[in-house]
Amino acid sequence: MEQPLELESDDDLTDSEESVYSGLEDSGSDSTNSSAAEEEEEEEDEGEQEEPSNGAAPKVKGAPRKSKALGADPPLKDSEGLSVPDEYEEDSSDEEDIRNTVGNIPMEWYQDFPHIGYDLEGKRIYKPIRNKDELDKFLEKMENPDYWRTVQDKMTGADIKLTDEQVDLVHRLQKGQFGDVHFNPYEPAIDFFTHEVMIHPVTNRPADKRSFIPSLIEKEKVSKLVHAIKMGWIKPRKPKEDTPTYYDLWAHEDPNSILGRHKMHVPAPKMKLPGHEESYNPPPEYLLSEEEKLAWEQQEPAERRLNFVPQQYRCLRAVPGYPRFIHERFERCLDLYLCPRQRKMRVNVDPEDLIPKLPKPRDLQPFPTTQALVYRGHSSLVRCLSVSPSGQWLASGSDDGTVRFWEVCTARCMKTLPVGGVVKSIAWNPNPTICLVAVCVEQSVLLVNPCLGDKLLYGATDQVLESYVPPEEERVQPVQWVTATSEEHSRGIRLTVQHSKALKQVTWHGKGDYFATVVADNSNMQVLIHQTSKRWSQNPFRKSKGLVQCVLFHPIRPYFFVATQRYVRVYNLLKQELTKKLMANCKWVSSMAIHPAGTDGGAGTVPKVMCGVHPVMDVPFPPPGDNVICGSYDSKLAWFDLDLSTRPYQLLRHHRKALRSVAFHKHYPLFASGSDDGTVIVCHGMVYNDLLQNPLLVPVKVLKGHTLTMDLGVLDVVFHPTQPWVFSSGADGTVRLYT
Amino acid sequence: MAQLTARFRTENPRYAVEDVPFSVPAASETADLSHLINKLLAARGADHKYVEFDFLIQGQFLRVPLVTHMEMENISTEEVVEIEYVEKYMAPQPEECIFHDDWISSVQATEEWILTGCYDQTARIWSLEGKSIMTIAGHTEVVKDVAWVKQDSLSCLLISASMDQTILLWEWNVEKNKVKALHCCRGHAGSVDSVAVDCTRTKFCSGSWDKMLKIWSAVPTDEEDEMEEAANRPRKKQKTEQLGLTRTPLATLSGHTEAISSVLWSDAEEICSASWDHTIKLWDAETGGLKSTLTGNKVFNSVSYSPLCRRLASGSTDRHIRLWDPRSKDGSLVLLSLTSHTGWVTSVKWSPTHEHQLISGSLDNIVKLWDTRSCKAPLYDLAAHEDKVLCVDWTEAGLLLSGGADNKLYCYRYPATASDVGA
Repeated sequence: MEQPLELESDDDLTDSEESVYSGLEDSGSDSTNSSAAEEEEEEEDEGEQEEPSNGAAPKVKGAPRKSKALGADPPLKDSEGLSVPDEYEEDSSDEEDIRNTVGNIPMEWYQDFPHIGYDLEGKRIYKPIRNKDELDKFLEKMENPDYWRTVQDKMTGADIKLTDEQVDLVHRLQKGQFGDVHFNPYEPAIDFFTHEVMIHPVTNRPADKRSFIPSLIEKEKVSKLVHAIKMGWIKPRKPKEDTPTYYDLWAHEDPNSILGRHKMHVPAPKMKLPGHEESYNPPPEYLLSEEEKLAWEQQEPAERRLNFVPQQYRCLRAVPGYPRFIHERFERCLDLYLCPRQRKMRVNVDPEDLIPKLPKPRDLQPFPTTQALVYRGHSSLVRCLSVSPSGQWLASGSDDGTVRFWEVCTARCMKTLPVGGVVKSIAWNPNPTICLVAVCVEQSVLLVNPCLGDKLLYGATDQVLESYVPPEEERVQPVQWVTATSEEHSRGIRLTVQHSKALKQVTWHGKGDYFATVVADNSNMQVLIHQTSKRWSQNPFRKSKGLVQCVLFHPIRPYFFVATQRYVRVYNLLKQELTKKLMANCKWVSSMAIHPAGTDGGAGTVPKVMCGVHPVMDVPFPPPGDNVICGSYDSKLAWFDLDLSTRPYQLLRHHRKALRSVAFHKHYPLFASGSDDGTVIVCHGMVYNDLLQNPLLVPVKVLKGHTLTMDLGVLDVVFHPTQPWVFSSGADGTVRLYT
Repeated sequence: MAQLTARFRTENPRYAVEDVPFSVPAASETADLSHLINKLLAARGADHKYVEFDFLIQGQFLRVPLVTHMEMENISTEEVVEIEYVEKYMAPQPEECIFHDDWISSVQATEEWILTGCYDQTARIWSLEGKSIMTIAGHTEVVKDVAWVKQDSLSCLLISASMDQTILLWEWNVEKNKVKALHCCRGHAGSVDSVAVDCTRTKFCSGSWDKMLKIWSAVPTDEEDEMEEAANRPRKKQKTEQLGLTRTPLATLSGHTEAISSVLWSDAEEICSASWDHTIKLWDAETGGLKSTLTGNKVFNSVSYSPLCRRLASGSTDRHIRLWDPRSKDGSLVLLSLTSHTGWVTSVKWSPTHEHQLISGSLDNIVKLWDTRSCKAPLYDLAAHEDKVLCVDWTEAGLLLSGGADNKLYCYRYPATASDVGA
C-alpha cells in the first residue's frame, strides 16, 4: 500500500541529476544506508538483480537515464534524503526489475540491438549513445578524476559514479566486514535461561487440563497391557544381571604377605641425632680440654670420635654459620648414594637347629647301662666271645690257649677247654637244636660240643656228628676234616678242620650247617665255606679281591658278606655273583655285623609283654639284613642301609681309638661297638618297617669297665640273645656283662 | 632352737609314756628322742634299763633329724606330730661261717639243720653250729636249689634241683646219717633253677631254664613212673646213671617265654613263678591255670612271699627290690622299691615272723636287712661276703643265712629286739 505512494512521491521529487548524486552523497546517514548499499550491490553484481527492492529500482533506473540525459531526478534525491525508511521496501525479491523487463537474461543477447530492453510500458529502452572511441575513453580516463569510481549499469547501460559511501561499502565487503558500519556483531548476549533460579518464572502458565484428566486412550492401552499380563502373554522382564563384571586382580593376594618391593625395601640409614656436644652451650664435660683438642687435631679425620669441636657460645645469637655444613650434606648424600640398598640373602640359622632332633636316651630304654657281672678266669686277653642261642651260656676264647664256658647269670665258669693255641675266633652254632661251638685255633677250626644245656640236645648233636658216612670217592678238599681222638672227645672236641694257614675268623650260617672261615692269607684261598653234616669244604672265590677281614652270612637269604680292607662285597651264593659292593669310607675295616631283625622266628621270641612295655618294640620287624654296620680301625663305625646306597648311611665317630668289634642285638634295636679305648658304646639303631623312614641311630650309652692292657681295650662285644645285655671281652683278661 | 610339738606312742605297753604333747627340738635325731623316752620311762619307774628306740613318723623310720625328715615327707611342723616308737632292732649277730668247697647256690634251714646246694654238684646238710653232717652227692651237674620237704626225728625228706635237669628226692635217715635217693624227677629239658614245697608237704613245684613250671608229688612211693623215652636213647645207659626211681611231673604249667628263675607257693593252691621274661605269674596249682601276671621291666632273679603282709618281694637284674601286691587289680603293681644295692639282687627273703622285714643278697657282695618302713636305707648291711651273694634264707628262729660265690655260708642270729634276747 505504501509503495505506490512512495513511488509517487519519488517521482514527484525527482528533479535534477546533480541533486540525485548530491542527495546520495549527502545521505551518508544511517537511515538510507541500507538502501544505498542495496543499490551498490545491485550494480556490482548482476546475479543479484532481482534482489533490489521495488522501491529502489525505479530510482536507480531512472537515475542513469537521467544522468545521461542530464534530466536529473530531483525527487529521488529528496525522497532519499527525506523519506523514512520503509521496512517493506525491499521486502520481496520476486519482484521484477521494473526499469527493464527483460528479466534475468544475459545482457549479451541485446548487444546487437539499439535497445537494451523494455520498460514497464513495453517501450524500448535504448542504449546510451556510445560514440566514444578509444581516444575518448583515454581522454576521459585522463581528465575525469572520478573515472575509477564510474561503473556501467548493465541493465540500463548507463554509467554510474559511485559515492564515497558506496566505495567504502565496497571496501568493507572486500575485507569481509559487515556492510553497516554501525552494526556491532559482538553485542552482549542476554541469557534468558540462566542457572539462577528466578523469583518469577519465565512462564507462569497454569497446568494443562489434560494433565489431570485421565486419557482414555492411555487407559485403553493400560487395560490391554493388564489383560495381556493376566493372560500371561506378557512376561515380566527378567531382572537384569546387575553384578558388575570385572576382574579382581588382587583377589588371590595374601594381604599379609610382604610384597617383593616391600620386602626389598631397605630404609636409608638414619642420621645420628644431635646430642649435647652439638649444643651451642654444651655442658662443660662435653667441651674439649686443651690436651683433648690437641689430640683431636692430631688425629686422622676418619679416626676422630667427633668430627667437630664442641664449642660454647654466650647465646644463640652469637653462633656463627656452620662452616662444615656443605661438607656434611655432601657426606650425607654420599652415604645415601653408597648405602647398599639390597638385602643380603643370608640365612640366620641357629646352629642348634642344624643338629637333628634325636630322642632322649631315657626314652629309648631298655639298653645296657651298668656293669653287672665280671667273668674272671682268663689269664690273657680275651679275643672272642659267643653266646649260646638260649642265652644261658657264654663262650670266650683267649690268648692263654683256653676256651671257657660261663654261666651267664652267675659268671660261673662251667668249663675250661684248653685248646693249645691262641683262640682267634669262636662261634656258637646259631641253631638252637644243635649244641656246637666252632673255635678257631691257629690253623684249625675245632667243633666243640660243650655239653651244656639240654642233655637231649647235646646228645643229639653228637649223634648227628657221628652219623656221618664218608662218601665213596675221596674228594679233593682244601682242608682236612679230622675226627677227634677219644681224649679230645672227652674234652668235648668233636671235629677238627685243619687249614693250611692260620685262621682269623669263623662264622656260622643261620641254619647251623654251614660255616665260613677266613684264612690270614692273601691268596684266593682266604675264604672257605664248610658244611658240617657232609664234612665238605669249598672255596667260593677264584680270585682274591684283597685282604679279607671278616665274612658273614646273611641271616636268611643266600647272601654272603665279605669285608676287605675298604669294601664290603655282597655275594649271592645261589647265583654265584657279586650283588653289591659297599664303600666303607674308612681305611681298614675291622669288623662287621648284619642287622638280624626277624631272624629265626624273630619277633616271636620277644616276649609279648615286653612289646607292650616298650613301644619301640611294637613295630613289626623289617626284613633283616638290609642294614650292615662296619667298624674300622680308624675309629669309625659305618652304618649301611643297603636299600639306600652303597655308601654309609651314617658314619659314627664316637670312639677315640680303633674299633675292634661291632654287634647287633637280635631283637632290641641296639647295636654296640667295642674299641681300643676300653669302652663299649651302645647305640639305639631303630630300623623301621616303613621303607620311607630312615633308620634312627642314637648313641645311648658309653660303657666303661675294661682296663687298657697293652694299648688294647675291648676286643669283642656280643649281645645277649634275649635280654638287652651286652658282653664285652677285654685285653685285661675279663669278660664283662653290662645290663 | 626351733621346737616341735610331738606326741609319743608305742604298741609296746612296757614302754608306754604319757599321751601328752611334748616339745622337742626340731633338729633332734633318733638318739636324742631315744634319750628323751628313756628319761620319761626312768622317771616313771625306778627299775628301768636303758633301751634304744627307733622312731616312726607316719610309718616311716626316722633316719635324719626330725625337721629334715618332716620336710622330706611334707609333714606340717605346725601341728602336733605323732611319733611312734619301737624298740630298736638289734644288729644281726654273726654266728657261724661255714666253708664249702664251691659256690653256694642255695640254702634252706630249719630249726636244726641247714641244707645248702653247692656248685660242686652236691647238697650238704649242716648243723646250726656249722658242723658238716652230710654231703649228698648224686647230681651230675651243679645243684641249683634245695628244699626240705619234711622232717621228723628219724628221717627227713629233702629235694635238690640241679642243672642236670633232674630233681632228686632224698630221704635222710638222721639216726644212721644215711641218705638215699628215693626219686629222680625227670622231665625238665633245662637246668632246674628253683624248687618249692607246698605247705601240705606233699607236693613241690620246680621252675627250669626250659621255661616250664612243673608240679611233682613229694610223697615217696615204691613205683616208678613210666616215662616215654626217646627211641634212640640208650635206655640201659640211662638206668645205670640214675639214682632212685623215676618220677614224672603231676602237671606242667607252660606260659613263660623265658627261663623261670624262682618259684614259690604263696598258699596251698597258688604257685608264684618269676621269670627272665620280666614277669611274675601266679598259677592255680589245682587247675594249672594262669591266674595273673605281674609285669616288670627287668629279669627277675628271685621272688619271696610273706603271708604276714601278703606282699611279694622280687629281686631283679637291677639294683632294686620291688614289693608287689599279687592281688592288686589296678595298674600300680609295684608298691615300693627298696634301693640301696649296687648290683643285681640275686635273692630276697621275707622274714617269716615280721611283716615288715626282709633280707636281700646281691652281686655287690652285701646282704641287706630291710624294713619296708624305711625304704630309702636298709636297717643293716651285712658285708661279710667277699664275692657275689647268691642265696639268702631266714628261719623262723631268727637265723639269717647267706651263701655266695666266696664258698662261705654266713649265719647271723637276728634277735628282733633287745628285749627278745633277754626273754
